Amino acid sequence: MPLLSVQDLVVRFRTHDGTVYAVNGVSFDLDEGETLGLVGESGCGKSVTNLAIMRLLPRPAGHIEGGRVLFKGIDLTTAPESEMRDIRGKEIAMIFQDPMTSLNPVLTIEEQMVETIRAHRRVGPKEARDRAIELLGTVGIPRPETRLRSYPHQFSGGMCQRVMIAMALALEPKLVIADEPTTALDVTIQAQVLELLQRLTAERGTAVILITHDLGVVAGMTRRINVMYAGFVVETAVTADLFARPRHPYTVGLLHSIPRLDTPEGEPLIPIEGTPPDLRRAPLGCPFAPRCAWRLPTCWTENPALAPIVPTDRIEATGPGATHRVACWNPPTPEEAAAGWPLREGFVPARPPGPVSDGGAAVPLLAEEDLVVFTLEEEPTTALPRVRGLPQPPGPEARR
Amino acid sequence: MSALATGIGMGARAADDGRPLLEVEDLQMFFPITEGIVIERHVGDVRAVDGISLSISRGETLGLVGESGCGKSTAGRAIIRLYRPTGGRIVFDGTDITTLEGTALRRMRRRMQMIFQDPYASLNPRMTAEGIVGEPLDIHGIGTRTERRERVRELFEVVGLDPDYGERYPHEFSGGQRQRIGVARALAVNPDLIVADEPISALDVSIQAQIINLLERLQAQFGLTYLFIAHDLSVVRHISDRIAVMYLGRIVEVAPSRELHAMPLHPYAVALLSAVPIPDPAIEARRRRVILRGDVPNPAAPPPGCHFHTRCWLRERLGNPKECETISPPLTEFRPDHAVACHFADRVAGTPEATRPEEAARSSSSTRMRPR
Repeated sequence: MPLLSVQDLVVRFRTHDGTVYAVNGVSFDLDEGETLGLVGESGCGKSVTNLAIMRLLPRPAGHIEGGRVLFKGIDLTTAPESEMRDIRGKEIAMIFQDPMTSLNPVLTIEEQMVETIRAHRRVGPKEARDRAIELLGTVGIPRPETRLRSYPHQFSGGMCQRVMIAMALALEPKLVIADEPTTALDVTIQAQVLELLQRLTAERGTAVILITHDLGVVAGMTRRINVMYAGFVVETAVTADLFARPRHPYTVGLLHSIPRLDTPEGEPLIPIEGTPPDLRRAPLGCPFAPRCAWRLPTCWTENPALAPIVPTDRIEATGPGATHRVACWNPPTPEEAAAGWPLREGFVPARPPGPVSDGGAAVPLLAEEDLVVFTLEEEPTTALPRVRGLPQPPGPEARR
Repeated sequence: MSALATGIGMGARAADDGRPLLEVEDLQMFFPITEGIVIERHVGDVRAVDGISLSISRGETLGLVGESGCGKSTAGRAIIRLYRPTGGRIVFDGTDITTLEGTALRRMRRRMQMIFQDPYASLNPRMTAEGIVGEPLDIHGIGTRTERRERVRELFEVVGLDPDYGERYPHEFSGGQRQRIGVARALAVNPDLIVADEPISALDVSIQAQIINLLERLQAQFGLTYLFIAHDLSVVRHISDRIAVMYLGRIVEVAPSRELHAMPLHPYAVALLSAVPIPDPAIEARRRRVILRGDVPNPAAPPPGCHFHTRCWLRERLGNPKECETISPPLTEFRPDHAVACHFADRVAGTPEATRPEEAARSSSSTRMRPR
């Protein structure tokens, strides 16, 4: 039995602006000691998924409207609040993005750490304090006995994040959920904090869900990755496999749209054109279709399920042999993934059936400007015609 | 895409005479720290920019990279005279602009514009998009009303926005579209130099590349010169011809991008390069990171000597030599076009830290080959 099993999770927010379809049927499993990355842009549902696991969705707007979250066999979506309180912190701990705002500014570090420890363990104040000192030492805070009396504002961002890690690990949880733990930090401090997080969780065999938009961070920190888009998991694979053989156009797009230090200089970027979807529209068809260069007519009307890239009898959900699965009707070939564009003669990404913005038709209600129109263009340097987005991505001529 | 046709503001683009467009010498920007309420006593300074020198040629992109608090944004703002520098000299196209005031300064500003980090905070929410883009034209009194309108529509097209959206307000645009508005505003008066201060760090990953490509296209199209300020070394390397690395108010290394990447000479630059995560698990697995200890010191009380010595991995290895704590190393040319401010730059090259495996043997699992 996996440590955590999220099954068909649906989360919606009922707001004055209408319903926000934040998470639309997400399923994944996590074994003990496994590290899983959740990658996607802001609004893709990665943070909401985890708030739902912890049952910390903002009230009253946020609701779990379907699915189950099994942690050690207990369904967290229906567990009584008292049981949830027991699980939070002790079994599942969270590390948030901004350490400055997630620590209480009017309490000393000591008060906060001792409170956390004593809330779950039957220990006296002295013992709890000793444990806090020990933990601060473990996360590399110099002179922990004196720093314990400091307030959060007396610490730098990196130090605060170390304190957060110390607090998260205080009760030896089975699972740590780190939500963009280093996004607010400088890159040299990020390196410190990630190294620390990786070392401590590996030593203790703690499972980690790392939420980030940074593909570089997940590449080094996780064993398995879920790529999320518009509240769906669109691709899942073992980390090495995902980077070596990306199969979803969105994953391919992400890999081509970031400059990286390990590529020759002057490598042009291929942006993902268009904008992320408005989650107030009910999902219909593939959510990535308006921005996708590989889209087929089907993509406008039917949302593909997450399916193995090679047909198989048995889907391995966790571990190093986890099955590579993708939700796509027309996945890019390895050559296309490498190129960043479809390389098929005469292939033109499908127009939506019927006029855009027509609410009555069986197409997603789409604002005209959200649709990326692709045109075919002869590219003199390649034998095959290349599909290009509008506005034009840079050709080789754009580089000096 | 047609070049801007209206011709307003296409004024005197100075001829390329081989001189740098911008020269900055020993620029200092200190902010006073005061105590007391009625009688304010000057008790110290935040030395945000502590004597930096740089030059940018016409059509070049200089990347200014460093961590938060290193003074890179202050430097950018002082250079286009949003601040009055407390010391040093700024020469723009042959004119000393360090102490310009009033009309003379405003006239100069027409030639240098800025793109800001946060497209949510840098656009007036009560102005329409065309009002925002056209405002610089109004301020500088360029063209007639119809000409300005026409120019604004052109600018919209140039940055990839539908000119018919001019009547909309900033909140009706997405982050990427807003940053395009910011770019159009900077372009409006047809400047020579654009200071882009973290122009993409507030945007979603998939949108960042759109803006980077836009900036590159505009540079090729209009012969712009960029000072590109950012904390992300991979982005800076992508867009810049040369890179200056800042640490605690000082430039510690300047080199052509390729060279900085292949052969960093300052221990801080080495650490910065090694800290950037690379989206390739095979490379990440065998990479050797230089993990710096501690945090950036307080710029109001920077350490004596070399500002970096408190965190320097090389100093420790060399047995903590005295000069690091006492003598501030000047930025000197170590190789042609490659200057570094370190007493022991010659000892950096060749250390395992400065040679990065991802350079030597690229992983075969990478997806980044391109058909040719």
